[in-house]
Amino acid sequence: MNDTTVNDTICPRCDAENVRVLTTSPVPGRWTMYVCDTCIYSWRSTEPRSATDPLAYPAEFKIDPADIPSIPAIPTVPPRRR
Amino acid sequence: MAYADLREFLATLDRDGQLLRYSDPVNPEPDLAAAARATANLTDRGPALLFDDINGYEPGKGRVALNTVGSWPNHALMLGLDKNTTVKDQFFEFAGRWDAFPGPIERRDDAPWQEVTLTEGIDLFQLLPLFRLNSYDVGCYIDKAAVISRDPDDPDNFGKQNVGIYRIQVKDKDRLGIQPLAAHDIGLHLQRAEERGENLPVAIALGNEPVITTVAGMPLAYDQSEYEMAAAIQGAPYRITKAPVTGFDVPWGSEVVIEGEIIAGEREIEGPFGEFTGHYSGARRQPVIKIHRVMHRRNPIFEHLYLGMPWTEMDYTLALNTSVLLYRQLKAEFPEVAAVNAMYTQGLLGIISVKQRFGGFAKAVGMRAMTVPHGLAYCKVIILVDEDVDPFNLAQVMWALSVHYHPLHDTVTIPNLSVLALDPSSDPAGITHKVVLDATTPVAPEERGHYSQVVGNPEGTADWENIIKGLLK
Repeated sequence: MNDTTVNDTICPRCDAENVRVLTTSPVPGRWTMYVCDTCIYSWRSTEPRSATDPLAYPAEFKIDPADIPSIPAIPTVPPRRR
Repeated sequence: MAYADLREFLATLDRDGQLLRYSDPVNPEPDLAAAARATANLTDRGPALLFDDINGYEPGKGRVALNTVGSWPNHALMLGLDKNTTVKDQFFEFAGRWDAFPGPIERRDDAPWQEVTLTEGIDLFQLLPLFRLNSYDVGCYIDKAAVISRDPDDPDNFGKQNVGIYRIQVKDKDRLGIQPLAAHDIGLHLQRAEERGENLPVAIALGNEPVITTVAGMPLAYDQSEYEMAAAIQGAPYRITKAPVTGFDVPWGSEVVIEGEIIAGEREIEGPFGEFTGHYSGARRQPVIKIHRVMHRRNPIFEHLYLGMPWTEMDYTLALNTSVLLYRQLKAEFPEVAAVNAMYTQGLLGIISVKQRFGGFAKAVGMRAMTVPHGLAYCKVIILVDEDVDPFNLAQVMWALSVHYHPLHDTVTIPNLSVLALDPSSDPAGITHKVVLDATTPVAPEERGHYSQVVGNPEGTADWENIIKGLLK
C-alpha cells in the first residue's frame, strides 16, 4: 500500500474523523504518519492494513470516543496546597 | 571497566562478536521489532543489532540499536567481565560492587550531545527513526531513555534527583505521554509539583552507555543517587553534565537530551502498550510532556528496547538489579540466604536458596521477601531451595521442587496482598493471593520424608569439571 491509497481520514482505532498528518518521512515520499486527535492513535502509511484500516483493526483493541473521559487517570491529580 | 558512551559499548560488543550490523534496507514496521523479537526467541547469548538503512531516512543517518544488553554475554560485557561469565558469577560480582555505593561522580561541561541544539520546529520523527514495537501499541514509544527530575520541595538535593526509565508515548512531534506511577520517585516529584500548582521540569537522555540504564531500572531508596550507584557498579567515577534549561544532571555521553516539562493537572489518554508481562496494558489517562529543547550529536543512534512476552532485553537489564536488591535486603536479616534469583517477570516469581536453621525457617524467609518494598508489587510466587541448590540453574530448582516439595506441608498461601496492577491475573487489578513453595529439605523439628541417602558426586568430579572446561575452550 502506498500513500495514495492508505486511509487518512478515519481513525482505525476509534473511528473518529479527527485525523491529521503527524509528520512525513525525512526522505520525501517514503511514508506519512497520521494521528487521531481524539484517541491519540498514530500510524504510518507503510504499515499493514491491521494498523491503518478501520475495518481491519481488531475489535478487542477498538475504543469508543464516548468512553475516553471516564478512563481512569493515573496518577490522579492531587489537590493544590493552601 | 567503564564505557564513556553507547558507541564505546557497541565497539566492545563488535570486538567480542556480540554486535550484528544490518545494512540492507528495512521498514520501520514491522522489521525492526520483529528482528529484536527474533533474536530474543533464538538464544540467550545473542548479539546487539545495529540497523543503518531504514526506509524514510538517509542511509547511515537514521540508525537504530536494539538488544544492546539483551543476552548474558552482553550483560557480562556491560560489567566489564569475560563474555562467558556465568549468571551466578555475574550475580555475585554485581552484589559485591553494590557495596561501593555511593561512588564518585565527575562533572564535565563538554558533552557530545551539545553539538546540535533545536528550540524551534522540533520534530522527533525527523531526528530519530521512531517505530511501533508491538502491533497494537497505540503509537511509537521511547522506553529505554533515562528520565531525570528533581523534588520541587528540595530542588538542590542531588540524592533526591531521580534517574528512572518510564514508558513514553510519542504523541506528536514535540509532545509526549509518560507513565509516572504514584509509587515511582518521579511520581512523588510530580505529586509535589502539582500540589504547588507548577509544571514538573524533566530532562530525557536517550542512547546511553548500559550501566546507567541498568541502574535507572533499580528500585533505589528515594534519596539515593542513581549516578553514584552507576559509579559503584562500573567501578569508576560517573560522568555527568548539566542540561542548560532545567539545570538537571544528565549523562555526559548521551546521544540525545530532551528538555521539557510535565504539564500540571493534565491527563490524556495513553496506551495500550505491549508490556513486560506479555500482555497489553490497556489505556489510561496519563500525564503529558511538552518538549522545549532538543540537543543531540550529529546523526544520533536511536537506542531502543523491544519488550513483550518474556524473555526480552528488559528481562536481562532488570534480572540482576532486582535479584541483588532482594538478596541484600533478605541477607541483612537472614545471613543464611545464599542467593536470590528474582529474574522472572521482574520478580513476580523468585527463587531463594537458603540454609534452614530450623523447621519452618525457609517459609519465613519466603514470606519476608513478600514484605520488602519490591515484594509489595512483586514476589507472587516464591520458591525456596536449599543453600547447595543453585537458584540460577533451573534444572536444579525443578529437581528440588519435584523431590523436596510436599504439596500438603510446603504450600503457604497468603490471601489478598498487593501486586502491580499490570499482573493480568490480579483481581481486582493490584490484588492477588501469593504463595510460598518450600522445596528445601525438612529439618528438625519438622522431620518427614526420606532424604538421608542423597547421591553425591563421584570423587574427583570438581577436578574433572576443570579439566573438561579447559579442553572445551
